[in-house]
Amino acid sequence: MIWVTWRQHRPQALTALGVFAFVVAYALAFGLWMRSTFDSDAIGSCLARSGGAGCGGAISSFLHAAQGGAGAPLTLVLLVVPGVLGATVGAPLLGQELERGTWQLAWTQTVPRTRWLVVKLGLIIAGLVVFGAAVTAVTAWAWSPLDRVSVKTQPPQFIAEGLVLTCSLLCAFGLALLAGLLLRNTIGAMVAGYFAWDVCLGIVILLTGPLQPFSATKVITCAGAACAAASTNSVPPVTGNLGDQVNSVTPAAGHLVVSYVPASAFWPLQFVAGGIFVAIALSAAGAAVWLLQRRTT
Amino acid sequence: MTHDVGRVPALRADRLGKRYGHSWGLRDCTFAVPPGSIVGLVGPNGAGKTTLLALTVGLLAPSEGEVALFGERSRAQDAATLARVSYLAQDHPLYRGFTVADMFRFGRSLNPSWDAGLARARVAALDIPLGRKVKSLSGGQQAQVALTMALAKRAPLLLLDEPVASLDPLARLDFMRDVVAASAESGLTVLIASHVIAELERLCDWLLVLNGGRLQLAGAVEDLLAGHAVLTVPRDATNGALPGRVIERTDSDRHSTVLVSASAGTVTAAVAARPGWTAEPAGFEPVVLAYLRRPQFAAAPPAAWGTAVA
Repeated sequence: MIWVTWRQHRPQALTALGVFAFVVAYALAFGLWMRSTFDSDAIGSCLARSGGAGCGGAISSFLHAAQGGAGAPLTLVLLVVPGVLGATVGAPLLGQELERGTWQLAWTQTVPRTRWLVVKLGLIIAGLVVFGAAVTAVTAWAWSPLDRVSVKTQPPQFIAEGLVLTCSLLCAFGLALLAGLLLRNTIGAMVAGYFAWDVCLGIVILLTGPLQPFSATKVITCAGAACAAASTNSVPPVTGNLGDQVNSVTPAAGHLVVSYVPASAFWPLQFVAGGIFVAIALSAAGAAVWLLQRRTT
Repeated sequence: MTHDVGRVPALRADRLGKRYGHSWGLRDCTFAVPPGSIVGLVGPNGAGKTTLLALTVGLLAPSEGEVALFGERSRAQDAATLARVSYLAQDHPLYRGFTVADMFRFGRSLNPSWDAGLARARVAALDIPLGRKVKSLSGGQQAQVALTMALAKRAPLLLLDEPVASLDPLARLDFMRDVVAASAESGLTVLIASHVIAELERLCDWLLVLNGGRLQLAGAVEDLLAGHAVLTVPRDATNGALPGRVIERTDSDRHSTVLVSASAGTVTAAVAARPGWTAEPAGFEPVVLAYLRRPQFAAAPPAAWGTAVA
């Protein structure tokens, strides 16, 4: 079964390797450039000296450079690749067998079809997890200078540096797998799987914005000019921590009421978002196994 | 093959039925095929041939009744059932991007009983290179690779669904000759669903006729032919006066040609008693076609040639 799975999914595996090579090359160039910019802007030494206070100008210009032009292609890749790749791997698994009639061959060998599917799913999911983890490791390395001075609870870092990329890959795979069984058509299943995944991605991105479950409120005492100058765009943030995402600052007498997402929300939010993706992936794959088992026509 | 195996039917159906929604694809199907037979499965499109094959191999589960292979009940998604039967589907599906060697490795990976030597020897004898991609092979070669896969599985029952429909006449002959040779060599039981009745006549020693989801005929070809005769009688002879049961009657100006289902003894006696009556043995194809034209004759096959295996 291992060989069969490998042989049938060899084109997708090679595509994934190609994508990985591209990500490595781009992330390497981007990461090195970011490091040299980080050093030349002297942000590191400024942070070491003051913990952020007074480094605002340097940080702003660094963020502008890093999050703008050079980082945009990688961000785009991260937003599209999990869906495209997951759908490309998932759609033909059942869709192509049904489309071309080869299910009659595959399911009449000595391996019962439920076992055939479960073994294949196990192997492919393992492969996708390895791929996702490898891409995550590379992109997390590339972005790590940015992490020291920016908010990680937002895309692209939110997608690139934790569980979300891998889990969203699995989600697209599961949805396209199920679509292949229902539509009996590879291309149709790819398209349907991709767009269904897009909806899931949209929901997860809402979690980093309006649906953010880990928002907190903090009261900060301040005086005079410091109160007047405080805004959501202050660098470093009014909360004092460079990783905090400040959503609103309400000035009052002698203090500020700050609504923000603390940097520490990164991992809890990763688990929530990853959990949503994995739950959808498992439901879809489970439905496919169940339908295949009771399929009688 | 042990003596015991010789007595257990290779394929037995017992009131087998399959319902699709509100309609029955196959119903009330009961027969038993002795091991080593080459069975022809005939019927118009939609008669339930593919349903019967799918139930046998366990791709479908029966709605009622059961089918058994070599005495063991056939179950959907059961490795033991799958090990007892090779299935070559219509249009002999193969993975188009695979090489022939890849297809064989696929077979080896999924079948503990895989006979790699047989597979390689067969394609070598057919001059099909192992390194060629399936999609670059001719239709006949693809059919042969698919048949090789089915044979190399080494299951004692081989099911072929319209195996030669897409082949040219020469490739058909080669293919069928190989099936017969494989059956003779290893005692394989073969069931061939086909529309080409003349082809089945040359190959089969057993016959199943399905019509409208019901079994019309089931029995050894020899008994089928012995149980039917073509009588030529004066036109004024009534059906009631004829021996056995009238299956088909063609009237010309003075004479009538009548296909009857009756034992050889009754036919001989009837002809001897009536001057001007003659009897000839019935041909395979005319008998099968006569039944196919009359689905209402589904109920009772003549007792003279009932099931050969109890």
